[in-house]
Amino acid sequence: MAKREQALLGMTVLDLTHHIAGPYCTKMLADFGAEVIKIERPGSGDPARSMGPFPKDEPHNEKSGLFLYLNTNKKSITLNLKSATGAGIFKNMVEKADAVVENFSPRVMPGLGLDYKTLKEINPDLVMTSIASFGQTGPYRDYKAADLNIWGLSGIQYELGEPDRPPLRIGNNVSEYVAGLYGALSTLSAVYYRYETGVGQHVDISILEAFHTMQPSMTVVYSYAGFIRKRAGIRFPWGILPCKDGYVGFYLPTQVHWESLCALMEMPELREKPEYETPMSREERREEIAAIIVSWLKDKLMDDVFHAAQELRLPLTIVPNPEQLTTTAQHKARKYFTKINHPAAGRLTYPGAPFKMTGTPWQAGRAPLLGEHNDEIYCERLGYSKDDLVKLREEGVI
Amino acid sequence: MSELPLKGVRIIDACIYWAGPMATMLLADLGAEVIKVESIQRLDHLRLLGGWPTPDGYEWSAVFNGANRNKYGITLNMNNPKGRDIFKELVKLGDIVTENFSPRVMENWGLSYKELKKINSRIIMLSMPGFGTTGPWRNYVTFGPNVEMVSGMPIVSGYPDGTPMMTGYVADPAAGLMGAVAVMTALQHRHRTGKGQRIDLSQIEAFTSFMGAPMMDYSMNKRIQKRKGNRHSSLAPQGTYRCKGDDEWVNITISSDEEWQRFCEAMGNPPWTQWHRFADALSRYENHNEMDRLIEEWTSQRDKHEVMQILQKAGVAATPILNYGEVLSDPQIVERGFFETVTRPVTGTHPYPGTPMKFAETPLSIRKAAPTLGEDNEYILTKLLKMSKQEIEQLAREEIIGTKPQGWAFAMDADEAISRIKDIHTKAEDSSKSS
Repeated sequence: MAKREQALLGMTVLDLTHHIAGPYCTKMLADFGAEVIKIERPGSGDPARSMGPFPKDEPHNEKSGLFLYLNTNKKSITLNLKSATGAGIFKNMVEKADAVVENFSPRVMPGLGLDYKTLKEINPDLVMTSIASFGQTGPYRDYKAADLNIWGLSGIQYELGEPDRPPLRIGNNVSEYVAGLYGALSTLSAVYYRYETGVGQHVDISILEAFHTMQPSMTVVYSYAGFIRKRAGIRFPWGILPCKDGYVGFYLPTQVHWESLCALMEMPELREKPEYETPMSREERREEIAAIIVSWLKDKLMDDVFHAAQELRLPLTIVPNPEQLTTTAQHKARKYFTKINHPAAGRLTYPGAPFKMTGTPWQAGRAPLLGEHNDEIYCERLGYSKDDLVKLREEGVI
Repeated sequence: MSELPLKGVRIIDACIYWAGPMATMLLADLGAEVIKVESIQRLDHLRLLGGWPTPDGYEWSAVFNGANRNKYGITLNMNNPKGRDIFKELVKLGDIVTENFSPRVMENWGLSYKELKKINSRIIMLSMPGFGTTGPWRNYVTFGPNVEMVSGMPIVSGYPDGTPMMTGYVADPAAGLMGAVAVMTALQHRHRTGKGQRIDLSQIEAFTSFMGAPMMDYSMNKRIQKRKGNRHSSLAPQGTYRCKGDDEWVNITISSDEEWQRFCEAMGNPPWTQWHRFADALSRYENHNEMDRLIEEWTSQRDKHEVMQILQKAGVAATPILNYGEVLSDPQIVERGFFETVTRPVTGTHPYPGTPMKFAETPLSIRKAAPTLGEDNEYILTKLLKMSKQEIEQLAREEIIGTKPQGWAFAMDADEAISRIKDIHTKAEDSSKSS
């Protein structure tokens, strides 16, 4: 099917990324029209291919849900960068690329002889984005860290969870998605500057620093007022509470919202109670108030409470599970979830456009099979013959 | 000073609260000239949410001051036609308009994309309400916490035996980051074609896109993933372990059998590490609770930094949990100069988190502290709109512009306010335990 012209048409990105942060970065670029050539190691490819979820929990290199989601609209070629021939082929490709994106640990690219300085000699206005747990410099540069480690170091985890239990992280790999978006923003901005001025550059992104920006300036609060929040379970004025068929959550940023909640529960007497009068006093008595709401919610359905609250302009919402989420009237009307066909994994529902561009819409596309575009890139683009490919395959280069 | 990547890009920014302002802060960091519009009749509410109940408390909102650096700040009463006219004059000179109101608001002001396009044919407009600008729920009220609630994330977050948990804030800056990416994508397109466009960003949809694995698991297997606390979905061990001291913790992630071996060696190979039930990832996962207790016997006798040193030397991902005070002095953060010291009227001199985007040729920095209310009225109206002193004074008399909020009735003494806020947050432990 012919694609409509997309926003990033004409931008070429060489993608050396793996796992989550880097692939999410290049997914953003590929989904909006950049040509992203994902370079995977021969044999096993991106390690995310061996990470779940898999259909029926049966591991298969082409069926990882995580990989399929993070690599939509990309082309895949295999190339062994550790071989001199492989590194040479990569350098040829760099000549015509706008950007290189990588998220190896910082020693890897220099170790391969592919540091920015070397690549810049081949393509003087190249943009290169490097995403690493701690960035390219500093005493922890070579330390290992997974998402959980980043939560702990960012300061965010310390204040989350129940007071008498270990600090808690939220979600699955949020820090990596955040760093991926910072990678996309940096790459787009650096390429924009290159188009304007002809100057390329290297951008160094630390996942730790990126994730630290995802909280409400609590180091600044510490500096202004000298205190550090403790874990509190529910942190008024918000909370997630159980109802009859699931969970709902509320947020009461102002007096009006508190009054609307009292009205929703038909408990006007709560408004009159002096001990619930101010946001501070309600925060002090949040456990008490939560108990009142919970007992009111006990026999209510989540959708009923949600719509009744919204009639009163009260920011109370459903807390859906994936099944409930994929079937909301809102997501259906906006066609957020998208069905994408894949030769190995079949037709599956994916989270779709992260934003809607009215002039150059997001377009669904599938993740590539490992090395699917070898012929297209090596033969049609770089001029290798079929015989050359056979030889390169035998040498373990592709 | 070297140039910045977005030099020459001008953004007229009507965003309030946090998600929208975060988007424009990132673009301001990158060098765009961002003109933030609020009003003395209706402050950006983020000044209130993070602020103090004191006479100048609207200038003490750390989250506002963090999310509005590098921007110019003006006030315009948008409910007055004259205020809206000035806004339109700015749009004529701008490249991008950003807003995150409920979808009715800009339409009611006659400032829909359709109208703005008539004034400036190349304009890019970013609208980013909670549920997006279309659909049956478009006018529903959401704030950052609601966005996180509806995204699907809390349902898979929390202790295995507990209720859904969330941060209460992460969706706001995450949607802001997505908004900045959206603007840059549109700007690239405009650079190539000369065409502007409108972007409709639902904060909820943006944040749900962080839910790759759980959504795909539902899609493939109709499975609703369980809450796993701090555990990994398949690798073991991964967890948060108590260290020496009060409320001190270390996070450890083991991602292969080889790492497990090195981990055991680094702990001095205690006998239990040889037990058959910890031999491979699957059996370790099945016996996670027991293993956690044994690991904690080792960590709890050591300082959290010492555990990091020992284990990282062995190539194991172990790092301490830091509180925000400790983050400020963390050697890695300090060495890279992540925090920048900024002086601002009213609040004085403090360290603020800088940018995680290190551009080698066009380094970003905090060039200007977040504006005090209406700080740049005169500068923008004079410099950009060429207004005379008399015209500006007239606008002030008509309360279309100003620098003091209307209806700000808080009068608490600053010391008392700080002490009360501090009490609530640091005594949280006691009050929830007593219930």
